Amino acid sequence: MPAAHFSACPDCDLLLNRALPQIGSTAHCPRCGCLLHRPRTDSVERTLALSIAGLLLLFPANFLPLVGIKVLGHEKDGTLWTGVMTLFNEHQWAVAILVFLSSILLPFINIVLCLLVSGHLHHNRRHRYLTHWLYWLQHLEEWAMLEVYCLGIIVACVKLSAMAELQFGLGLYAFVGLLFTNALLTSNLDGHLFWQRIAQLNGQHYEN
Amino acid sequence: MKINTALAQGLVRCHSCGFLGKRDIRLTKCPLCASPLHGRQPHSVQKTLAYLLSAYLLYIPANIFPIMTVTKLGAGEPHTIIGGIIALINSDMLPIALLVLVASILVPLLKLIGISLLLLYVQRGWTGDAYRWTVMYRIISFVGRWSMLDIFMISILVALVDMGSISEVLAGPAATAFGAVVVLTMLAAKSFDPRLIWDNQNKP
Repeated sequence: MPAAHFSACPDCDLLLNRALPQIGSTAHCPRCGCLLHRPRTDSVERTLALSIAGLLLLFPANFLPLVGIKVLGHEKDGTLWTGVMTLFNEHQWAVAILVFLSSILLPFINIVLCLLVSGHLHHNRRHRYLTHWLYWLQHLEEWAMLEVYCLGIIVACVKLSAMAELQFGLGLYAFVGLLFTNALLTSNLDGHLFWQRIAQLNGQHYEN
Repeated sequence: MKINTALAQGLVRCHSCGFLGKRDIRLTKCPLCASPLHGRQPHSVQKTLAYLLSAYLLYIPANIFPIMTVTKLGAGEPHTIIGGIIALINSDMLPIALLVLVASILVPLLKLIGISLLLLYVQRGWTGDAYRWTVMYRIISFVGRWSMLDIFMISILVALVDMGSISEVLAGPAATAFGAVVVLTMLAAKSFDPRLIWDNQNKP
């Protein structure tokens, strides 16, 4: 195939000789500066380990109280779920669904997809839906917004600090842990390598 | 100067997995990941424009109507987005006020204007510094999600401040509109194909 020695920049479509940078270095498009390739050490194994860690942190982060407040003797805890449920009970369905998707469901789906893909690649096991999983992972990634939610917690706490006493719950620590796990997960998953490994498993000759 | 793009050489890059294949009518799906193969994202300008116009329309109710109502000892006080920022400034929380100002007012507004300019650039066949425009596109796509800050903050506040008549926070109608603006501008940025910026350079 004539295309085998070339690749194209995703942002400006410049035809390039395939870059194969060393681990630790990066390849950028010479014309538009787009990050083309950033290989990682043990990308598959790290993704597997981090997604297991993320799955463990997900439950305490979702169900344990993040922040609690105390006003005139009343105490109240807030978890990721109570926010969504309260919005739902106030008939703010659209907002409730948006918050549910971006702070609960999509982070969960992302971690599960990472686990499935890296688990199969680690054990060199084929699966009918392997390409679909990686495809959806790449497309859903940007809709999980844990780090924005974290900033939301900070702003809410500053607003409340004037009128009430705040307590930070165990859930918050799990949530911050999940946030870091997620960030590491995104930076350690090497898309090029994953697609290459999948092609090898499927017996296709392919380089990207 | 004619620059070699993949499309000019009859090659097509898969948007998902980076596979580079020969452009062929029979090759509609990527042989590796089975996602549809296109030289450029189909109807990119039209889709972006549709999302953008909807976002512009919803930006109006998002700023006019109250985004939340704060009740203290029975007296309800509706806050618009700007009202919430003014309340923060009045209670001497300037850094947080600036943060909310950037996330909920400046970022959505600059995104709307930025994407409009990108569409004009492509449609009008401008040939200005394509590198700068690409950087602008990258900033727009990166920064969009941070506008959700206000929505998340409200979701935490309504859950925590829920003590009947003593004090209560209720989400307002602008929350839905504002959430929709954020999602629509993200979709607009996602459906815009940055390679169109560079295609302008190659046109004679």
